[in-house]
Amino acid sequence: MTRTHANHGPVLTRMLGDTGSLIFVVVLIALTVAIPLCNLVAEPGSALHVSNFTVALIGKYLTYALLAVALDLIWGYCGILSLGHTAFFGLGGYAMGMYLMRQIGDRGVYGNPVLPDFMVFLNWDTLPWYWHGMDIFAVAMAMVVFVPGLLALVFGWLAFRSRVTGVYFAIITQAMTYALMLAFFRNEMGFGGNNGLTDFKDILGYSLSSDGTRVALFVASGVGLLIGFLIARFIVTSRAGRVLEAIRDAESRTRFTGYRVELYKVWIFTISAMLAGVAGALYVPQVGIINPSEFSPIASIEAVVWVAVGGRGTLYGAALGAGVVNFAKTWLTGAFPEIWPYALGALFVAVTLFLPKGIVGLVSQLRRQIRRKEPS
Amino acid sequence: MDRFRTTGAARRLIAILVVLGIAFATTAAMAKGDTTGDPPSAGAATPDAQSTPDTPAPAQSATPPVSPAAGDDDAAAPSATDDTAPENEGFDYAGTVAALGEANYPEKRRIVSALASHPQAHTAELLAAFADNRLVARESDGKVFVAEENGNDYDLRDPITFEPAGRASTRDFDPVRTNIGLRQNIGAAQAQLKLSAEDAETRLAAVETMSEKLDDNAADAMRAHRASETDDDVLEAIDRALAINDLNTGDNDAKLAAIERLSGDNSQMVYNRLKNMLILIPEDTADADQARLRAAAAEQVERIDWWRTVYDYLETLFFGLSLGSILVLAGIGLAITFGVMGVINMAHGELIMLGAYTAFVMQQLLPGHIGLALVLAVPAAFIVSGLVGILIERSIVQWLYGRPLETLLATFGVSLFLQQLVRSVFTPLNRSVASPEWMSGLIRFNDLFALTANRLVILAFSMAVFAALILVMQKTSLGLKVRAVSQNRDMARAMGIRTQRLDALTFGLGSGVAGIAGVALSQLTNVGPNLGQSYIIDSFMVVVFGGVGNLWGTLVSGLSLGVLTKFIEPQTGAVLAKIIVLIFLILFIQRRPRGLFPQKGRTAEGS
Amino acid sequence: MKKPALLESFSDRSRVFDFVNRPAAGAKPDVRHGTVLYVEDITVSFDGFKALDALTLYVNAGELRCIIGPNGAGKTTMMDVITGKTRPDAGRAWFGQNIDLLTLDEPRVAQAGIGRKFQKPTVFENHTVHENLELAMAGARSVWPVLFARLSGEQSAHIDETLELIGLAERRHTLAGALSHGQKQWLEIGMLLMQEPELLLVDEPVAGMTPQEVERTAELLVRLAGKRSVVVVEHDMEFVRSIARTVTVLHEGRVLAEGSMDKIQNDPKVVEVYLGE
Repeated sequence: MTRTHANHGPVLTRMLGDTGSLIFVVVLIALTVAIPLCNLVAEPGSALHVSNFTVALIGKYLTYALLAVALDLIWGYCGILSLGHTAFFGLGGYAMGMYLMRQIGDRGVYGNPVLPDFMVFLNWDTLPWYWHGMDIFAVAMAMVVFVPGLLALVFGWLAFRSRVTGVYFAIITQAMTYALMLAFFRNEMGFGGNNGLTDFKDILGYSLSSDGTRVALFVASGVGLLIGFLIARFIVTSRAGRVLEAIRDAESRTRFTGYRVELYKVWIFTISAMLAGVAGALYVPQVGIINPSEFSPIASIEAVVWVAVGGRGTLYGAALGAGVVNFAKTWLTGAFPEIWPYALGALFVAVTLFLPKGIVGLVSQLRRQIRRKEPS
Repeated sequence: MDRFRTTGAARRLIAILVVLGIAFATTAAMAKGDTTGDPPSAGAATPDAQSTPDTPAPAQSATPPVSPAAGDDDAAAPSATDDTAPENEGFDYAGTVAALGEANYPEKRRIVSALASHPQAHTAELLAAFADNRLVARESDGKVFVAEENGNDYDLRDPITFEPAGRASTRDFDPVRTNIGLRQNIGAAQAQLKLSAEDAETRLAAVETMSEKLDDNAADAMRAHRASETDDDVLEAIDRALAINDLNTGDNDAKLAAIERLSGDNSQMVYNRLKNMLILIPEDTADADQARLRAAAAEQVERIDWWRTVYDYLETLFFGLSLGSILVLAGIGLAITFGVMGVINMAHGELIMLGAYTAFVMQQLLPGHIGLALVLAVPAAFIVSGLVGILIERSIVQWLYGRPLETLLATFGVSLFLQQLVRSVFTPLNRSVASPEWMSGLIRFNDLFALTANRLVILAFSMAVFAALILVMQKTSLGLKVRAVSQNRDMARAMGIRTQRLDALTFGLGSGVAGIAGVALSQLTNVGPNLGQSYIIDSFMVVVFGGVGNLWGTLVSGLSLGVLTKFIEPQTGAVLAKIIVLIFLILFIQRRPRGLFPQKGRTAEGS
Repeated sequence: MKKPALLESFSDRSRVFDFVNRPAAGAKPDVRHGTVLYVEDITVSFDGFKALDALTLYVNAGELRCIIGPNGAGKTTMMDVITGKTRPDAGRAWFGQNIDLLTLDEPRVAQAGIGRKFQKPTVFENHTVHENLELAMAGARSVWPVLFARLSGEQSAHIDETLELIGLAERRHTLAGALSHGQKQWLEIGMLLMQEPELLLVDEPVAGMTPQEVERTAELLVRLAGKRSVVVVEHDMEFVRSIARTVTVLHEGRVLAEGSMDKIQNDPKVVEVYLGE
């Protein structure tokens, strides 16, 4: 029951001091390098070849993993359960979608150089104000982090200073994403209503359907996850990270120790939302569409389960969980579509009842048992 | 400190609701004859004495579509045609009927009107057949017959005598076509024939039907009849119908008198004619009489507009309360499991859904007894959802007490599981649960105000369920124990309450109530696997807004959220209204995390 | 995350907008008049039950004050009021002459220099002993400085010193949750010391301690007094007698008696409600 104290020494040692994180970073870097090579260099048909489909699939998992890391940052470390994190994911995705939409230019069905197809279809004659500037990549990318961050800042500020915690917070975040979903379903919002944003052509001038772009997006997702993970690691290994854990374990004590709990919560919630926004922005060009169903409360809860399955409070566990659950989902929905909802339902129950620490907890328990047996 | 204490305000509220409920019930009973949905007995109306045995009874569809009071048409078929027969000399009845074959619509209208004014023995049947599209004209010579389809042939009858006139291929005939307007005329004509019925009720109905489409002939008939009329109500109705007629056709003084006569009448017909008058007479008319007329009409229109606004508000209020009652029903079970036990049951929506499916299954088991099946579905749904709830509690929730977030996730898993189970058993298609007669149609209070029966019943039902729950909580030992445990679990256990068993029962109770909510919902919406999902967030919002652990709070919050939503809706549309309410709730919870009626005191501090 | 002062004041929903009285951040209590804590006419009621009934109490700078009283006398509620957890219905509470405690929330009260030890030891169980002390250490409390904070040599030495003082030097890398009850009590006292408060509120510090531990605790509290002011709420009469100079008896939300231990013990009112049972 001891833990080495790592508050001094180089930052990198501090961040990667623990074995799990180190393995994760190494594997992630290897994956980000190897998969593109196997896709581009290895001959189709050879054992090493990775298909375009697989690249896109794993790229999607990587963005999910980043969302899971963002969730774990607040849930695992600060005890804030958000059932609305796909709201931030979706907003980031929409910001990216708007950029991609503007890149279509006059190649749309209606050939309008400025207005996206759905606006022409709705007989709109001018671009809504919030679409201006979204054709500039830098502006769009700023929005990817700014919009989710702003929403989280306002929402969190209102909630945390009133000391809305636990299940209450979970429920209002769910209501938030539900309200957003309803709003984005409306054509009047100017985000394509039901159909969302799709039919993207290219990004930064590169065609989205080309192999090179696909691989580049994959690498971007890998790098995005790596950077997000390192930021999260930096935070949780800092003294501020320990304040977050202190809030999680004994909020009232933390207050009496002089920490303004609500500011810490707003801060970490905002950072988490920004990471989720980035994840959404990386997700959209790879799947080619963003629509309001991304905001659905169920999607949010599913994301929470990734974290729970992987093991909360470890960051790499959350990423692992996102990968494992989504792999299972892809496989099961392909092989036995009827079974998937049962499996997912059972997974929720099983993880909470039998695996409170997730896969990571299971692994470390097994290792302990093996170590105990070794001497004998 | 008592979570379920009846506060003074809450008591007053329930008193108001009870009074409202009684008022609704009595008015509804009074207005029963006005139910547009055919009363159950109407279908069994016996053909009148005059119908020849081989003639099918005039069918229901003879009823003009907009007539609110035509249910008893057939029972009142004229027995008095003979009395009027002597007046018919000089009128070419047969020739008029024969002209139908070639007539255009205006001509047909005139013919119908003429026939009603000069009826013979079979005029009523003829009109009924006409309204039923059973009149045909022979292609070769345009001769009109009453036809009854028989395979590829028609069984023909003479339109005057109704004697059988042989059988011929349908190919040789064209139907004498009708349209909605004409059918209204036919209805008015049929009504005119009934003016001299024995039964005052029938005459009253006849006058009302006639007034929908009163032409000069009919007006004359009505005036003629007025002299011999004895019943006050019928007289009143005739005067009204004639006055309305005067609004269109009378001279200036007659119109003024009619306006005077009709002040206090809010019906659509009067309103339309007055409005029409405002359009026809220019605002700056030089004619003093016309100006006076216009002013009088304008005053009435304004008055009716005012009443319309009032009733619109009442109607919105009702829709709000109706929505609110559904929210209360959906939320109240949650108020028990969440409020009393502190357990977040995300499968609550699916328990509602199971209740709705129970109603569906009951109707499948008892075909032909729609109402009975629905009534039986209430206890059945309580038992089904309650048992499922107990199962969930015993197998999952009991291991997770004190870990609300984990409970939330695990029960969410259960909800996915149940949804898929229902999909596997009942297919993903939406099922519809039929409504019994006493839950369909409109209940009309006056010209401007009518409420849908199903919503009214559900409102009353939801209040009854609420009252029953309050009784359970306050009068039974289960309720007492539940309250004890919710206040201090350890102490309750020390006092010998078997908390484990009680938890299961409480959870079962809350789940059972969710099932009952499902039965009610099955009357408003299609039953599908996703039914529950759409209510779970709303239910939580209702409970949290009302103040966790407070059943009265749930009632007030459910009803007020319903009313709020419905009052926003006309301005913004349904979706935006929902969004606005959600945002309002989010902000409200952030200002007052403990809801409208928070629990006070030291015990509440830690939660 | 730094916000303008005005905005910050709006963010505290419990605040009365009292810009005049508001001390500048980090202000120290002004105790030139010799009194560190003024509690005057404080009334708190829960659902009609008066937990505190116009309670008035003064604590001198550097004093070691013991507060005793039967259960429900209002001891814990009084601490809640002073530390910003509970807002009173009426009354005033000042820290020194310049800090109005009733306008501050818990973290601000702590930052102003009032430390509190709870009845049930509350430490951060998933942190090591060392980390617990580090978190409690006086210094920056806002997000960015804390995010980039590194322990200086001086600070390390200070923590080591405290570890020695509370006898947990050997267990510095143990998770606090694994400590014994008495050790947790000590750790919490250690955290309080790291906060370097002007005033310590200590709720039942020796509950569940062995006699040796009780003795050491007494010794520590006595040593602290003088440099800092200490208010101890305790049931253990032996312990109170061993440390107290002035004792205040609370009963039903008011002060029943105040004075030296001997005087208190001979007060018939006190004997009746408390000692006489």
